[in-house]
Amino acid sequence: MNVKVLLLFILSVALCLPCAYGQVQDTAFGNNADLEKILDQQHPVKGSPGYYTSATFKATRIINGHSIENIGTGVLDFRIAHRFGQLNEGIKNLYGLDNAITKFSFDYGIADWLMIGVGRSSFEKEYDGYAKVKLMRQTVNGRHPLSISYLGSISARTMDVVNIPGFKYYLSNRLFYVNQLLIARKFNQHLSLQLMPTYIHYNLVASEAEPNDVFAIGAGGRLKLSKRIALTGEYYYTIPGHKLSGYSNSISLGADIETGGHVFQIFFTSSAGISERVFIGQTKGDVTKGDIHLGFNISRVFTIVRPKEFRDGKP
Amino acid sequence: MRQLAFLLYMIVFHTGFASGQKDIYQVTGGTIRFHSDAPLEMIKAASKNLIGAVHVSKRTFLFRISIASFQGFNSPRQKEHFNENYMESDLFPLAAYSGKIIEDVDFTKDGEYNIRAKGKLTIHGVERQRIIKCHIVCKDGTISVQSDFIVLLADHNIKIPRIVSDKLSPEINVSVNLVLVQKPSS
Repeated sequence: MNVKVLLLFILSVALCLPCAYGQVQDTAFGNNADLEKILDQQHPVKGSPGYYTSATFKATRIINGHSIENIGTGVLDFRIAHRFGQLNEGIKNLYGLDNAITKFSFDYGIADWLMIGVGRSSFEKEYDGYAKVKLMRQTVNGRHPLSISYLGSISARTMDVVNIPGFKYYLSNRLFYVNQLLIARKFNQHLSLQLMPTYIHYNLVASEAEPNDVFAIGAGGRLKLSKRIALTGEYYYTIPGHKLSGYSNSISLGADIETGGHVFQIFFTSSAGISERVFIGQTKGDVTKGDIHLGFNISRVFTIVRPKEFRDGKP
Repeated sequence: MRQLAFLLYMIVFHTGFASGQKDIYQVTGGTIRFHSDAPLEMIKAASKNLIGAVHVSKRTFLFRISIASFQGFNSPRQKEHFNENYMESDLFPLAAYSGKIIEDVDFTKDGEYNIRAKGKLTIHGVERQRIIKCHIVCKDGTISVQSDFIVLLADHNIKIPRIVSDKLSPEINVSVNLVLVQKPSS
């Protein structure tokens, strides 16, 4: 026999051996390589278009501002937010705990891509309403690397802040408009980051020299430490030349704590106001001087309309 | 040249032998349901996103299901918790059952059989050796499978926080219905 043919024969037998051995091994340990190959060729379960990344953030707010998350369809979220006074007020005011700005709000999920809300904040007795729309959703398979949402909000300050005798307060003088894009990416289980280009229109400003339009860019994120606790941070940078004078940038650091059904957010922030036009454009405090507020957001959700998917616990 | 042809023949022969196509039946439709019956809450969910194959002469099987595809639950938030906190479906997107059928049954013949499947059940990234009883109906080249079994959360390293201990059962009842047909030879 030709040596080459002999070698080839030995080689082919040698190639077969691990194959045959592998088959015996496979079935004994439930490692069905041949079946695995077939299933891998089938529609990859992970890559279906329906698989949007979930839980980029735990709550619909990062701290002060909105996150990419919407409330579920048919769910009403009753929220109570508190911002206490400044830490540097000392023991006399119990480090600011004697004073608090509060906001009550109701958020409702109309569809999985649309939520609306109304709220009332005690700072300058302001009412606000907003809509948050999902424009793009990050997918697990990476086809969409980002989630993008639009937030539009109108608020009305009902307190009279101008003390000029004879000043006629038209409704238009009380209104503010906020437009935000929320661009977020969940990088992994632990880290999610978000950018928030923001445009705010103030119908009435302090003087003619002040701009009515304020531009800001926000950045926020969360770092999940455990299944129940995440660290959060948020910063809004107002663009010089397009900002109101005498105000500083808003910075906040906090924690999300998940307690069974809901998320409790506790944090330190340089902003006392709770509506977008206040904390983004009109943050008064100077962090370096200790103008820091303790704050928290609590929410309670009520299922108003159970989506078809969730009815009777059957799809 | 002849040697090359021989080698090619060997490769084709051996690989062909390894996976006899006509012996393989594949899942064409199936549902996996589960429910947790706890004192304060009943949680139900189901998914049709099931794929699987059975090699009828080797009597081996493999089934997979996407965790994120389960629907049902009592609220959207509960579904999110299921994926995020309990199953960690980002890390462990699939549950799988892979192994061999103990009874020597000829699936190509019509009839009803009660069989035991032995293999490893992988949920939440944790493998467990399980023997699961199934009721099988073979008819006109299709195999219908029905099975009920229990999964212990502790077996798969899924912890129940004390705060929801009245709302989540440590024993999850799972029910599987699926139909397999012979894979068209390609």
